[in-house]
Amino acid sequence: MAKKDEGVTIEFLSKDKLSGDSFEEKLTSVLEKVKDNHVLVLEEGWNSEEKSMLIQASMEEIDEEFAGVEFMSLDSSNSRFDRAKELFYQKVLDQEYRDGLTIVGNSRVMEKIKEERDTVSFLAKLEDAE
Amino acid sequence: MINRLRKFLNDLFSDSEKDDISIGIYGPPNAGKSTLANHISKDISGEEMSNISEVPHETRAVEKKEQVTIESDDGRTLDLNLLDMPGISTNVDFKDFTEHGVEEDEAKGRAKEATKGIVEAIKYLDDVDACLVIFDSTEDPYTQVNVTIIGNLEAKDIPILVLANKVDLEDSDPSRVRDAFPQHPVLEISAKEGENIDKLYQEIIERLG
Repeated sequence: MAKKDEGVTIEFLSKDKLSGDSFEEKLTSVLEKVKDNHVLVLEEGWNSEEKSMLIQASMEEIDEEFAGVEFMSLDSSNSRFDRAKELFYQKVLDQEYRDGLTIVGNSRVMEKIKEERDTVSFLAKLEDAE
Repeated sequence: MINRLRKFLNDLFSDSEKDDISIGIYGPPNAGKSTLANHISKDISGEEMSNISEVPHETRAVEKKEQVTIESDDGRTLDLNLLDMPGISTNVDFKDFTEHGVEEDEAKGRAKEATKGIVEAIKYLDDVDACLVIFDSTEDPYTQVNVTIIGNLEAKDIPILVLANKVDLEDSDPSRVRDAFPQHPVLEISAKEGENIDKLYQEIIERLG
């Protein structure tokens, strides 16, 4: 068997890069890269419905080689000001409110995940390079 | 806390024009969903409704107990559909089953079933009228999966009662559940030992009266 690269690619995607695609297109692209052992750091927050779409899409891709994803996010807080800002974006500007960060990776790569409201961390595990 | 619980139950029943309501039991794998479902089902009908195991994803399809009739002291009744959901997670690795002694071929089959069950459970978020969201109080509940479940229910305006389960265990810390989801009432229970389950029944029956 060919020797795999020893390491994990961490890819950072800016909000400008992400703003051109529909969520479905982003989801397809994210899963494709995650299956290739990339960890993606997206400069945007995803809402609960989008996160559940990620879970569903991951489930449909799972096989013996791909066990699914781990994801983390740093979203805006739940303060009244943040909610008002979100509402302003949606109702007045007719735009998605996407403040935050979303991190998605292969579950066989990401482990020891720690999440708090304002801090997230994980250990990127190197696969056995046989 | 009791007042918040009463408000939840008022919201749950007072505005409903349906003859029966569907209550989904959601939560991560091994939080005690099926233990709670069995406890409720056994108390009401004498029968258990789900298999229980320490192996994760034992419930791999939505288990339904339909037309469970709850009767209050003064004879009023309400039909409930109780839905025991597969535990929602972001990954299902067949190796997790083999580590519990399951043969590899069977483990792969279970993993496939579990993925379908998770998709089914998420789709049911559109069909439930209220939810009991149950967490293992010995673990930190602030995970993206749990936040996602709660967030979806909130976005759909579905009434939620959060249950901090396994309070019979020494390292239980229900305050972590309250801290993680301070916007919801939290009832501390032990589904295994039946602790505080009567309190839940009593409140439900009172709201029906």
